[in-house]
Amino acid sequence: MIRRVAFNLFAWGIVLAVAFPLFWMLVTSVKPQFELFRRPPTFLPETWTLEHYIRLIQDTPFLTYFKNSIILSTATTLVVVAISTLGAYSLVRFKYRGRESLAFLVLFTYLLPSVVLIIPLYLMLVSMGLSNTIFSLVIAYTTFALPYALWLLRSFMAGIPEDLESAALVDGASRMGAFVDVILPQLLPGIISTALFTFILSWNEYLYALVLVNSDSARPLTTGVMNMLVSSFNIEWSLLMAASVMMSVPLIIVFAFLQSYLTRGFGAGGVKG
Amino acid sequence: MAAVNFDKVVKSFGAFTAVHGLDLAIDEGEFVSLLGPSGCGKTTTLRMLAGLEFPTSGEISIGDRVVNDLAPGERDIAMVFQSYALYPHMTVAQNIAYPLKKRGVPKSERGAMVQKTAELLQLTELLSRKPRQLSGGQQQRVALGRALVRDPKVFLLDEPLSNLDAKLRGYMRVELVELHRRLGRTMVYVTHDQLEAMTMSDRIAVMEGGRLQQFAPPTEVYRAPANRFVAGFIGTPAMNLIDGEIRQSGGTWQFHAPGLTLDCPPLLDSARPGPACLGIRPEGVVFGSGPIEGVVQVVEQTGHENIVVARIGADMRLTGRVGAERVWQAGETVRCGIDIDRAHIFAAGAAGERLNRPGLRPVEAPAVIKAAR
Ligand SMILES: Nc1ncnc2c1ncn2[C@@H]1O[C@H](COP(=O)(O)OP(=O)(O)OP(=O)(O)O)[C@@H](O)[C@H]1O
Ligand SMILES: [Mg+2]
Repeated sequence: MIRRVAFNLFAWGIVLAVAFPLFWMLVTSVKPQFELFRRPPTFLPETWTLEHYIRLIQDTPFLTYFKNSIILSTATTLVVVAISTLGAYSLVRFKYRGRESLAFLVLFTYLLPSVVLIIPLYLMLVSMGLSNTIFSLVIAYTTFALPYALWLLRSFMAGIPEDLESAALVDGASRMGAFVDVILPQLLPGIISTALFTFILSWNEYLYALVLVNSDSARPLTTGVMNMLVSSFNIEWSLLMAASVMMSVPLIIVFAFLQSYLTRGFGAGGVKG
Repeated sequence: MAAVNFDKVVKSFGAFTAVHGLDLAIDEGEFVSLLGPSGCGKTTTLRMLAGLEFPTSGEISIGDRVVNDLAPGERDIAMVFQSYALYPHMTVAQNIAYPLKKRGVPKSERGAMVQKTAELLQLTELLSRKPRQLSGGQQQRVALGRALVRDPKVFLLDEPLSNLDAKLRGYMRVELVELHRRLGRTMVYVTHDQLEAMTMSDRIAVMEGGRLQQFAPPTEVYRAPANRFVAGFIGTPAMNLIDGEIRQSGGTWQFHAPGLTLDCPPLLDSARPGPACLGIRPEGVVFGSGPIEGVVQVVEQTGHENIVVARIGADMRLTGRVGAERVWQAGETVRCGIDIDRAHIFAAGAAGERLNRPGLRPVEAPAVIKAAR
């Protein structure tokens, strides 16, 4: 009994420690400017205001950045999921020489720190005439999300019995038909995990965005917000907090939608299909 | 014209050859079992017939068509997998309807066909369930339903009963035979269970090490095994196999083993003196009288009969099937004999071919009951 209470207190302690910065971010973003630096700080704002949000949307290129980030993350996710699904299928189902070594080689690239790859990648993209575009970031993010995605999906794919596909073939499906009718539905939890991983990765990425893109029209949120609100002389705290809240919202929405799929996916591994 | 024909079919996986030059002609409407120990190439053979595996060489035909280059879906076959391979995200009804859907049967007709199949297999109540909500036996029936909903040229079944408990297996065996009789379709049935093969098949193809050992009706496989492997593989308890030597003196052949000399049953002309093997089924061993002396080692009582294992000499064992009236005790000395008319002589070696002429005298029905035939 006492141990349970102690455990609960401990768990709640951790939850609070994690949640407090988020709470503070939210609270700061709705405090008026004059209340921000008051000492001692007010816990809940005395006056609530949305002025920072309005300023952010009306007076800054925030919405452009936001749009860029959405396009960027969605495109990367689509590309990575499409390639890694087909790649995983090939790695698991087709027998060809060097299949295993290929898989390990792919993982090896994932082990390299991304900083190492940034200069060659930059030079490559410049010579392809793609620098300063959203598309260049899609390519860059794909290069480091893909290996992990491929391995994740490979293990999901390996868990799908080959007989299922054989049965579909005998039942008259083409290979593609069997893939769509039988493999894809079985793979859904894996695809969702992969999509989530890729989306979050590209949504939060900073370094490549900083190096590869320096025009406002193509900047994503991470570098855009830093660029406009954080200078060597001044940090616009209230705007920064408002921007941070708005940056977190899409992730929270995506998670809320996919959470049930995710837990179902992780649970499904234990159930015999 | 054969319904299914394998012509010198070879299948290699890299350096390993799983099927060696298989020749097999299956007649229209026949129920044929592929029987053999684990790893002998049964599934590989069936998968080649289904088009899921490409033969390395040789030709496979279904009806009058060579199917080597046809995709599985174009071969007009239906298959029941050992794992059932039900589509987990589809309901029972959708599972059964899938082959129809893929072959372009209009939606309006599908419902009635699924319904009819479900009635046949008593699945009507389960149609809206998902496979994971079914018991093993029910899943098995759904897998069968998915095959039966169409009317294909050939049914392929890969150990469909092996995941069921003994009672249900016995029941489904009878059901399958009944179904085969009703549909009159060619069925190729893979099993490693000789009881299934013996009770259900018109003919049994016994395989071992990727080679066809014998292809004959069950009684013939039992009474006149083509070689030593088939002799030892078919029948429980297994046939006694005694290594020795055959010698010819004058016009008669004799079999010699340590402590044992017998006149041989009539041999083929190809027989030559030398090492050989004598095979005698437990029901051909006489306990209580005879020239051989042994010590009873194990007695298994099954109720209507006793299985007695006796040790003869240093390292020879003889299993006999005797009536239940007389209970033998372990340690007892016993005299036994061998009914030479029921004995077989095989050439030396694990797959030594048969050297005696097959059954001149009618032999009582094999102990394996021919259920439902
Ligand atoms: N894809 C493959 N790659 C390499 N070897 C294989 C492959 N499939 C089967 N084999 C080998 O071929 C042989 C025959 O396999 P098969 O599955 O046909 O056996 P089986 O008679 O069906 O056995 P079981 O009763 O255990 O199902 C086995 O030795 C197996 O290891
Ligand atoms: Mg098998």
